[in-house]
Order: sequence, then C-alpha cells, then structure tokens
Amino acid sequence: MADEHPKAADANAPRPSFSRRSLFRGAGALAAGGAVADASRAAAAAAAPTAVRYVGMSEIELEINGAAQKVAVEPRTTLLNALRNHCTPPLTGAKLVCDRGSCGACTVLLDGQPVYSCMTLAIDAIGRKVTTVEGVAKGGELNEVQRAICEHDGSMCGFCTPGFVLSITACLERKPDASLDEIKHACAGNYCRCGTYPHLFDAALAAGRALRAKGGK
Amino acid sequence: MGAGEFTGAAGANLVQDAPPRAAAPGKKWIKVVKVQNGLDTEVWEEVDDVAGPTWGPREALRLVNHDLPRVDGPDKVTGRAVYTHDVRLPGMAFAQVLRCPHPWAKIKKIDLEAAKQVPGVYGAVVLESEEVKWIGRPIAAVAADTPEHAEDGVRAILVEYYVQRHAVTPELSLAAGAPKISGNRENVRVHETEGDVAAVDAAFAQCAAVVEGEWRIPVQHHACLETHGVVVDYRGGDSATVYASTQGTFTIPGDAARKLGLNGAQVTAVVEHMGGGFGAKFGLGLEGDAACRLSKELGRPVHMLFDRATEFLAAGNRAGGVHYLKAGATKEGELFAFVGRVMRHGGVGQGSNQKQPYIYRPKHSFVEVKSVLTNTDSSRAMRAPGHPQMSFAMEGLLDDLSYAIGMDPLEFRVRNVPENRRATYERQLRQCAELIGWNKHPNRTAPDKSDAEVKVGIGFALATWGGGGGPECKVEVRIAADGSVEVLSGSQDLGTGTRTYLTAVVAEELGLEMSQVSAKIGRSTYGAANASGGSTTTASLAPAVKHAAWNARNAMFEHVSTLLGVPVANLRCTGGRIEDSTNPDSNWIAWKDACAALGTKGLSAQGEWQSHLAASGVGGAQAAKVQVDTLTGEIAVLHMVGVQDCGLVMNRMATRSQLNGGMIQALSYGLFEERVIDPDLGIVLNANLEDYKIAGCKEIGLVQSVLDDADTRGVIGMAEPAVVPGQSAIANAIMNACGARLREMPLTSDKLLMALRGMKRG
Ligand code: FES
Ligand code: FES
Repeated sequence: MADEHPKAADANAPRPSFSRRSLFRGAGALAAGGAVADASRAAAAAAAPTAVRYVGMSEIELEINGAAQKVAVEPRTTLLNALRNHCTPPLTGAKLVCDRGSCGACTVLLDGQPVYSCMTLAIDAIGRKVTTVEGVAKGGELNEVQRAICEHDGSMCGFCTPGFVLSITACLERKPDASLDEIKHACAGNYCRCGTYPHLFDAALAAGRALRAKGGK
Repeated sequence: MGAGEFTGAAGANLVQDAPPRAAAPGKKWIKVVKVQNGLDTEVWEEVDDVAGPTWGPREALRLVNHDLPRVDGPDKVTGRAVYTHDVRLPGMAFAQVLRCPHPWAKIKKIDLEAAKQVPGVYGAVVLESEEVKWIGRPIAAVAADTPEHAEDGVRAILVEYYVQRHAVTPELSLAAGAPKISGNRENVRVHETEGDVAAVDAAFAQCAAVVEGEWRIPVQHHACLETHGVVVDYRGGDSATVYASTQGTFTIPGDAARKLGLNGAQVTAVVEHMGGGFGAKFGLGLEGDAACRLSKELGRPVHMLFDRATEFLAAGNRAGGVHYLKAGATKEGELFAFVGRVMRHGGVGQGSNQKQPYIYRPKHSFVEVKSVLTNTDSSRAMRAPGHPQMSFAMEGLLDDLSYAIGMDPLEFRVRNVPENRRATYERQLRQCAELIGWNKHPNRTAPDKSDAEVKVGIGFALATWGGGGGPECKVEVRIAADGSVEVLSGSQDLGTGTRTYLTAVVAEELGLEMSQVSAKIGRSTYGAANASGGSTTTASLAPAVKHAAWNARNAMFEHVSTLLGVPVANLRCTGGRIEDSTNPDSNWIAWKDACAALGTKGLSAQGEWQSHLAASGVGGAQAAKVQVDTLTGEIAVLHMVGVQDCGLVMNRMATRSQLNGGMIQALSYGLFEERVIDPDLGIVLNANLEDYKIAGCKEIGLVQSVLDDADTRGVIGMAEPAVVPGQSAIANAIMNACGARLREMPLTSDKLLMALRGMKRG
C-alpha cells in the first residue's frame, strides 16, 4: 500500500530489527510502507543475515502455540493485532488496552519470555515461538497458574487476566519458588483496574507451591 | 450510580417514624434506604405482602455466603471469554474516530473525501459538524478492513476550524473576562445554600477549637481496561445485534434501534463479558452512535472501540472540586459548628453531588454548593459519585479537629456519626483499629512530632451508601428433561460475579451442585434487568433469582407429589434428589428421574424482585497504615483494612475481591491519579496509561478485607462504599505519621516535602 518506496536498501547489510512501531507511526503510516526484519534471528546470529523486505500486506509465517500459521500483515502490524485480527481463528485472549507498553494486557511469550505484543511487530516474531494465553492450557487442562487464579478469585472483570496468566507463568517457570516480592516484580508491568492484585498474589504463591510439589514427585 | 450525574442534594437519613398511611389490602410498608442525589435516605415503600421464599438461616446455607470460585473463571484465564473488543464477525470493519484537537472550536469544514480514498477504507461519517466545546470530542469516524487502515483514514480527514478562546481550568473559567461556556449563562452556578451563616458564626464562638482548610481534588479517570465501545452488526433487514461494553444491557437496544431505523425489539444487545465500567458505561454513547451509522451505511458489522487516548478524553471522569471547610468542636468532642463551601469541577457538565458535611452531623452548619464549567468533557458517574471527594475533605477536617482538642480521632468519629448508624460504625472502626494496630500505636491523640526520619502513621475514614434493590428484574429458571437447569437474566456482569451467584442461588434452592446449573446472562432477549449503577444490581437481581428458583422448586414438587404420592408440603430438595421429609430414606426420587418424567417440555418458572429478600443502606470503615520518609518525601502504604457491612453476602470470595478492589482504587486515587491540562494550550498532557498513573503490584502493600457478619439483613450491594474512604484514611495516616496535612490529591512526595518545610518554618 505504500505509494512511496523507501530508498533501496542493501539486502545484504546487517539490519537492526525494529520493535518500536512508534518509529513507523512517527514517520506517518502512509509513508511507512517498508520495514525490514530478520527472516530468522537464529540464522542471523550464525551467519551473515539475510534481510527480507516486507512492503504492504505480506504473508508471513508465525509459530503460534506450537503450530505454524500463515498470516497476512503489514510491516507496521503489531504482533498483538496480528493475533487478534489476522489469525484464523482470531486469538483474542491477548487484549489491546494501551497499545504502547504500559499495561501488560497484551502480554504473550516470545521464546518463553514475556513481551508486550503491542510493542512487538508481527514480522519480528518470525522464527520465534509465540505462546498466547490460548496455548497455555495443554490438552484442555488448565496450568497451575490458571487453576490457582480460579481458586483464589484472581480475576474480576478478567480483562487483565490473560496478561497476568502469562507473566506469572513465565516467572514461575524461571523460578518456581519465587517470593512474593519476585512475583510482584514479575507482574510490575501488568495493570489490573479492578484491583485483583491481592488475590493474584495468593494465586501465584499457591501455583508456585503446586509446581514445586509436582516437580518434587 | 445511574447514567447521569447528580445535581442538587438532599439531606441524609430522613427517617419518618411511621409509614405515611395504612397499607392497602395485600400490601405492607417496609423501610428502604434509597440513594437520592448521591446521598442515602431512608424512605417508606409499600410492597406486596405475600409469602415467598426466604434465605433461611445463614448457618443452613450450603453455597450462598461461601467462598465460590467463579463459574466463568476458566473462560477468563484461558482467553476464551469473549469481550466486546474480541467480537470478530465475517466482513467486519474496524472503525476509529478523529478527535477535535482544540478545547473549543467552530467547525468550518470537514472533508472526508481523501479519507474515503485511503486503501482499505470502507466509509466515513461526520459526527459533529458545528461546534466542539471540549478537547478530544470525536467529530468523525472511519471504517476500514483493518484498524491500521482506519487510522490511515482518520489521518486523511481534512478539517478546518475556527479556534475559539477557551477556559480549560477552573481558574481560567473563574477569571474576569473568561469566555462563557454555556450560552449567556455564567460559568459558575450556585446549586444550593443551606443554613444560617450568622447562627453558625455564633456557634463557632462557643467552640474549644476551630480548624479550617481548603481541600483540592483533581479529576480522576475510570481507566477501565476495556475501553468504551460496541460492535454493531446490522446488514440490512429488520434485525440487528449490538455487542456492547456496557453496564446496562437494556440501555442499548432502544437507542441503537432509533439510529438504525428499527424498533427496540428488533435490536438484541449482547454483553457476554465486559472489561470494567466503574460508572462510565451506560447507553450507546458517541461510539455507539458512530458504529450504528457506519454499519447502516456499509451494510456490514462495525467494530468501534475507543483507543486509549479517546478513552481518557471522551469517555468520562470523576468530577474534581475544591472544598473549603471550617469546623469547631467542644472540648467534650462534639462537632458543634460547620461551614462548607464546595466548588465542583465537572467540565462542560455540573459535576457530581458533593454536598458537605459527609456522614458526620454538626450541630450548626452552613453549606453552599457551586459548580464551575470548563472546556473539558463532562464528568460522569464514577463508583460512589461525589462520596470520595466529600470524604477526602471531611475526614481530613475531622482528624484535624480531633487533634486540635487532643482527642483520639477514632473516638471523635464514634461520637459524631449519626445516632442511627453509631453501633455499626463503632463496631467497624474498632475492628479496623484492632487489625491495623491502632490500640498499640504511640500517636493516638497527636501526630508524631519526633525527629525520626522515617515515621509510621495510621488513619481512619468511613463510608456510606444506599445500595438497595428494586423491582427491576425478571428471571427465568428452566429445567430440562435431562436434568439440566438454566437460569436466565439479561443482566450484565461487570466483574462482580453475576453468573456465579445466579448459579449458586438456584443450585442451593434445588438441592443441586453448582455444576448442574448454568447461568445465561448479558442478552436483551433474556429477562429484563436494571443497569449496574449505585450498587443496586445484586440487591435487585438476587431476590428475583431466588424467587424464580423457588417457583421452579414448587412446580417440581407439584409434579413429584403425584409421582411419590407425598403431599407437596412434605417434599424437600437435597443432595440431588427430591424426598419425602417424613420418610427420606425410602421415599425419594433422583433429580434426573424426576426431570425425565417432565417430558420434553421440561419446566420453566419466572421470578421477580422480593423486597423482603433485599435490604439497603450500608456503612463501612477503613484504616490505612502509612510510612513516610521525611527526608525524601516517599509515601508507602503498608497496610489497608476495610470492614464492610453488606447484608447477606452472595459469594464471600468475590465480595472480598470487590472490597480489595475498592481500597486499591482509592489508594490509586489518593496517591497517583490526576488529569493534567496545559492551561494555555488546553491540551490534556497525560491521556495515556504511562503518564496517567494507576496503582500497580508494587504500590499496594497488605490489603485486608473483612465482611461484617454482624449485619444479618438481606442482600445489599457494596461496590460503592468500598471505594469511598481509602484515600482519606491514607491522608489521615500521613498526618498522623508526621503532622503534615496534605489537602490536595494526589498525595505526592513533593507536596509532603513542601508541607514539612512549611511546618519547620512555622
Ligand atoms: S496493550 Fe500492550 S502494554 Fe498495554
Ligand atoms: S480483573 Fe478487571 S482489570 Fe483486572
């Protein structure tokens, strides 16, 4: 859709990988037709990177919740919008709340690390494993964090809940015996306007205990 | 609260001793507390005098009044719960709005042509073509295949404005020569004056101590995580569906129908889940208006959800205000004389009622309430409209006065609350004191004056609210031949757990497990229900659910009576069977078998509000323990305690969640929240969630919620009182810690340091 092509870039030159969509927004989206992303970060690290140019609507392949999926996105499309608006079926578990990295409602895991999917371009997720809240319960069974949130009433309106599920899951994966302070730190990027924090903390601590009991077996 | 803000005010607790006249045949009089003009007032109400269900003794309850995990919890933790934001329909367009960048402008011309040519754009409409009086008002909307393309379209709209001189702050609006915001009327309006100044002045002369101050309250935002919005699905023909993020399912169809050229019955509103309202989400709104017009024009579903900036600028706020208060007390601790002058800041609206004195009853008082208009969007109802503002000023004044006469502020409160509420408030205050450690606290009658750098203080504050129910809901219970049970109500769930208590009440009545009952809500084709305002939902809905379940149970008994050969009066439902209470071991029928015998038609029963199952009028006390660093000004809330009466609790765990949430929102209001406007440019500087700060995980300390079980009444809502006193208790705790009275929210380090410096200088 760009009527104005950016200057031809040297396809072989190493390129920074942008994750701040604001760069493109600032430039005016109509003109921000082309952006460049590494086709594969792993490959980029190993050998001379092969930069791929995406212009306008392009079909890319993402690995979401363990399955490859082709999605048509623009270079400026955030991973959040790609999940919510361009996947089949739409993955609307991650929520759009602030669209600029302040609230955590859009949290997903990228190679196991929690990220704000509103601050990640879809094209930057190529070659990485995306886990959304829909992919956390394996075989329809809630994970320990999800179960504990239900048991401790860690959700009221629930709009923030998917983000907390992923932030806490990632935290406990790293450290099943995370302390209350460590849990608060892990969730410091997630807002809950209903004020479920106390019950979320109870849930996270209980989930940690359950995970340790499981691991101990 | 209801959709509109309250203006004017009424006194509270006007109890007439007797009903106005004898009850009509088949009727009886009951006393109910109603919220009138934001204040709770006891009135007599005539209701049907019929035998109906009762909640029964509390100790006999098996599900209700217990900790119940939410039935929709698994949907919320897996992302399966579908909110309005998440609705995806074939051919759906995403819409975005263009906001007016000026606080006051006449619109010369809006040209949508270029926008319509933008790739992906399906269409665009003008929402306002004449004049805009507040910054951020949506003036046009664009629909496109993706939100990104809709944004492109918005950027391509050409508007020419005649920019007008504005007054975005109360100071500008009050200045000489300020532009008149509402026609020829003055920017300042006097809403009421009450009392005799001369008499109050004379009363001050008899006081042992007099204190005064001016409390300044900023504009707060609801900041619901799900922004305002709707998805309108109208593809021509004679029916439409409107998915809405709303506090009132039934506030949608009528207005949407008018916009679409249909009648109300042809429009179905759907509110499956919604991501927070707090008073800001009633009716179709500008967003719904835009979506209806676009959907009608394009013949396709339109997804119109505000972005975050629009949410801050055009979706409501809690009115700010300035409260000048002066009070005097006798040395015995009687609140004797009082003057309150209130100026409400409600943008282009008049702001919520903030009539002083709040809760406490001075012997002599004079009160004046005014409002001043500004070029900002109108305030809307926000969780306990007016109360947190009144509380912040009044509770601060009260503390100052108790220290001035050398009295424990807790005892001073007990002494000056209304007589008819004293027992409740005293019980709650003493429980707070116990839990927060007041009784062992060193500075109970005077703030800490030591030279310590880091100090700890404790403060208290009270709440009041009506929270009663009314005859607004119709509920249906359906029993199918396979034994499954459904309970249906059009009511919405704002996060309070409606589905869960509907399920519990029905399962309890029918002797079933929660898993055997499913609740269907949030659809205007189900039974009517009131909008969720003023903590009236549960007190209106739960009695109707109980009634429907009781009617269903009675119908089942009629049917089983012939099967078992037992008179109806001897039957009971328990443990998944219906049995003969005189011979339970041998004469019973399993629930499933009884249902199978109903045949395919099953059974359906209706229920309506039962006044005797609800009650109204709640108090609530809260305490905060705060640590202040007098060197850096850092303020840390260590501990908050809330003790809340709310009649019969439906779900204890969910109610504690709500009480926690109220305290946390109040903490957030007290410490962080404030809309900041550049007075010259008229621009809101923090219309986003990084500069408009709300409380996160690290700021809250220990939060402790206690349900006051000494309250043995029927069902009462409690959403509002929970949010009222927290910020006041925190300000009082800061005062108690170090003697600095912060009279302006948010209570930030810089203000604390300035106040401490002022004290040093004397
Ligand atoms: S929506 Fe991504 S952080 Fe708020
Ligand atoms: S549960 Fe409503 S925002 Fe967290």
